[in-house]
Amino acid sequence: MSMTVYHGEPNGPSFTVLAALFETGQDAALVHIDLAKGQRHNLAVAQQPEVAMNVEGEGPVLMVDGEGMTDSVFIACYLDDVGKGGKLRPKDPYARWEMMAWCRQLIERTAPAAAYLGLNAHPPICDAAMLVKIGSVDLRARWQHAAAGLNTQDRLADSKMKISQAVSKIEAQLEGREWLMGEFSIADLESYAWLAGMVELVPSAFAERPRTADWMQRVRVRPAVAKTLSLAREPQPAAYWAPGPEINRWG
Amino acid sequence: MSDVTLYHWEPNANSGKPMLALMEKGVAFVSHYLDLLNFDQHKRDYLAINPQGTIPAMRHGDRVLTESTAIMEYVDEAFTGPPLMPADPRDRWRVRWWMKFMDQWLGPSFSMIGWNVFVGPAVRTKDPDELKAAIERIPLPERRTAWRKAIYGLFADEELKESQRRVAVGIRMLEAALGKREWLAGDRYSLADINGFNLAYALPLSQPKLSNDELTPNILRWLRAIYARPMTKACWAMGRTPMVKRVAILEQQHIGKEQVT
Repeated sequence: MSMTVYHGEPNGPSFTVLAALFETGQDAALVHIDLAKGQRHNLAVAQQPEVAMNVEGEGPVLMVDGEGMTDSVFIACYLDDVGKGGKLRPKDPYARWEMMAWCRQLIERTAPAAAYLGLNAHPPICDAAMLVKIGSVDLRARWQHAAAGLNTQDRLADSKMKISQAVSKIEAQLEGREWLMGEFSIADLESYAWLAGMVELVPSAFAERPRTADWMQRVRVRPAVAKTLSLAREPQPAAYWAPGPEINRWG
Repeated sequence: MSDVTLYHWEPNANSGKPMLALMEKGVAFVSHYLDLLNFDQHKRDYLAINPQGTIPAMRHGDRVLTESTAIMEYVDEAFTGPPLMPADPRDRWRVRWWMKFMDQWLGPSFSMIGWNVFVGPAVRTKDPDELKAAIERIPLPERRTAWRKAIYGLFADEELKESQRRVAVGIRMLEAALGKREWLAGDRYSLADINGFNLAYALPLSQPKLSNDELTPNILRWLRAIYARPMTKACWAMGRTPMVKRVAILEQQHIGKEQVT
């Protein structure tokens, strides 16, 4: 079984997938694509439903036997299942539930806020030729929205609040712990992936959060993470954004 | 007595997911019914169990679990009984991908339409002051917005139109996936099918122009196959509202374009 990862800058979902790959000690061909220019939509599998309609928005694609796999948390679960190295999920079912529920709330509340703020500070460039290739109508709308700078003050404020809430939750969770779930897990990768770029954009959220700052440093110095970050082509990969998951449409 | 208690509403959407998963797994549980239309989920007794006031929640021993899809994975892993996740890691990825797609993209569109036509009108007749107080008790701000929209009929036309667009896209995707595979995520019944059935069991009734035996034969085959399982029937028999009785549509041999009754 050979694997290829089409990935962007090591930020957001690409960060999680690359770090999970290295943490689990696996080999894959790595192909850098510019997610912020919509290059994912040029892939041969771009219109496969699980690629085109991925709820996460722009993110890496893991190719296995001709099938394109998306969604950073679920790819990380897959890599954990087939990996040879360290494990990225607890063994106990309750601890696994905790990790999946943590990731779910992060994906639903924090990730859309981070993508919104990231794109507001670093708008993507899109052209008509790229837009027509996007299979998902609502993802296309998010591209157009971000490129045109149509962000609203309400949503920016709400997004900043969600980042603050996420950091508070992390700070509380880390009491007496080195990692979010006790043992290092996908929850650490996914939380770091969405929050690394927020330190600069929402500094108030990180003020007086010593446990969070130490945890981010611990994540960064892990060999697999250092290797992930070394793949960056931009001087500041955490300032590199493409349209992510949408902000909840209602309730 | 079982050490599992499930706090749930109808066998429908999020509540029905862990209900059916527990039953398929053969896990006995104490059923604690919460009447969503009576705002039981925002009352003090339940908030002591789940402070977010969302349904369902499951108590196992002294632990409380929330998030219906994560609960289902827990049920599959924590109890013996027939496995509800495939053995192959890539199939497991596909189960999770489709569950998230339904939970976060397709499901909210179905439920916006459902809340607009069912939940909103069902509670709107209550005393206005009582409704106002009920909304104020909702812990999560997003849920407060959702209830306000449902109760007062505030869904904008474009919101409903977008939901209907997504429902149409989702139906096409389900039909294509079920044309490729016997079950939603692979060649065996899994949590993805339990999740999908909760979303789509009444599809030929709620979306007769988009889903019927002529237009979506694979979806109908799939729904009937799930409905034929004894545990599905037992689970839906726990329902109390006309909403879930709609599952009986699947007893019809053929549901044509104009034959929905």
